[in-house]
Amino acid sequence: MPDIDDPFSEARARCPVHAAEFQGETLPMILSLKKVRAAAKDWRTFSSDAPRRVPIPSEEDVRTVRQYPLEVDPPVHAEYRKLVEPFFLRPKQPEVAAKTEALVHRLLADALSAESVEVVHDFAIPLQSHALTYLLNVDEKEAQTWIGWGIHVFKDGDGMSKGPFMQDYCRRMFETAEENPGEDFFSTLNRSTFHDRPLTMEEKLGFANIAFAGGRDTIIHTVTRIIAYFASHTEALALLREHPEHINTAAEEFFRVFMPLTHIGRVCPQAAELHGHPVPAGGRISLAWSAANLDPEVFDDPRTIRLNRRPNPHIAFGSGIHSCLGAHHARAIMRTLLRRLAESVAAITVSAAKELVEREKDYSRMVGYEELHARFQPR
Amino acid sequence: MPTVTFITPDQNRITIENADANLMEIAQTHAVPGIDGDCGGVCSCSTCHVYIPDEWRARVGPPGEDERTTLDFNDAVRENSRLSCQIEMTEALDGLVVEVAPSA
Repeated sequence: MPDIDDPFSEARARCPVHAAEFQGETLPMILSLKKVRAAAKDWRTFSSDAPRRVPIPSEEDVRTVRQYPLEVDPPVHAEYRKLVEPFFLRPKQPEVAAKTEALVHRLLADALSAESVEVVHDFAIPLQSHALTYLLNVDEKEAQTWIGWGIHVFKDGDGMSKGPFMQDYCRRMFETAEENPGEDFFSTLNRSTFHDRPLTMEEKLGFANIAFAGGRDTIIHTVTRIIAYFASHTEALALLREHPEHINTAAEEFFRVFMPLTHIGRVCPQAAELHGHPVPAGGRISLAWSAANLDPEVFDDPRTIRLNRRPNPHIAFGSGIHSCLGAHHARAIMRTLLRRLAESVAAITVSAAKELVEREKDYSRMVGYEELHARFQPR
Repeated sequence: MPTVTFITPDQNRITIENADANLMEIAQTHAVPGIDGDCGGVCSCSTCHVYIPDEWRARVGPPGEDERTTLDFNDAVRENSRLSCQIEMTEALDGLVVEVAPSA
């Protein structure tokens, strides 16, 4: 029995591109890893210059701003990206790594002392939210607000109202930072310039929008699925304890198979064709990271989790110029989590679970959990 | 034990003696600029990209298929590109010189 379901295995075996319908829009999904990488590199044919239309389904109903630097093409893409890059490199700093270490230690200590923990809301969301304060260099108290936004700002519960709520929150944060500037994300963007002019509020909100929405469900679901995996594979905890040299490879393997983001879109400025699938000018295609990461042409036994898989040329963080800015952050969290789990947890028992399944007309894909009730047994 | 020299994009030469690991790990241990090795050496990120001078290419060998897949889509790829995480230092490579590729 494979560890991972692959809803695209039959379609991929037939053709590397599969036409699927999303809310009435049919668009070709690229399922093969090499072809996804090639399309991600070819930004002239497959453009990101499409405000609110890069995600699939599109986010035209849940936000008004363009996300920076995700939804722009070269050459301005690199200029926008540079403005926020220093924040996304912060997880590599020893003092930030120490804070992440202490956070994981604290949350695990709470989990180990409790009779039962609801892992999504009592562990993964607080972990993601507090760690994000370290990344953005803001007061850790802000995490309490973000925890209330749930698993996914736009999809969890009422995204139609939460999207504008988050945008209003960010606007207030920029205004507060204007009055009381510091070295945080909001103050830095207030001071930043683009082509010798200050950033507009729309641009600043666009940076903040993806900083909050982009790395949220991805980290939360990956953390929760790792814990569910260890619940059914206690021997894996022991393996990482005895062989800590596998922590990095294990983290990469979990990113390969557990990253919840099924795909991301690109827009074709001119009419194009993908393996016989026509795309009209202005039409969209899908770069299906999740399908590419299970491509049997690249990965031996792709549906089996191998904690020492190496090489592991996955694209869980995307590929090309738009590769995930938050990858350092995600890696720091998962590597710390794996090390701490192996050191302090003997076994995990799941008492109840409610899976979160992405249901589209052409496929269903398990992306994480809405709830996962578990008991952590100390070593 | 073998010696390896990294030439950084700003032409600094960093020579490391008693090199015993893969090139990415050696570079990280000695804080060689430009060798980030973000994915920890699994061939996913190409942030440990180096160029192999012609005189060393035969001894270092070509990239494997997985490595090739990752390198092919790197904007700075050249015919002599390798991912340093996939090159294990051995006595046969004593004196090896590699150029650190520019960051994306």
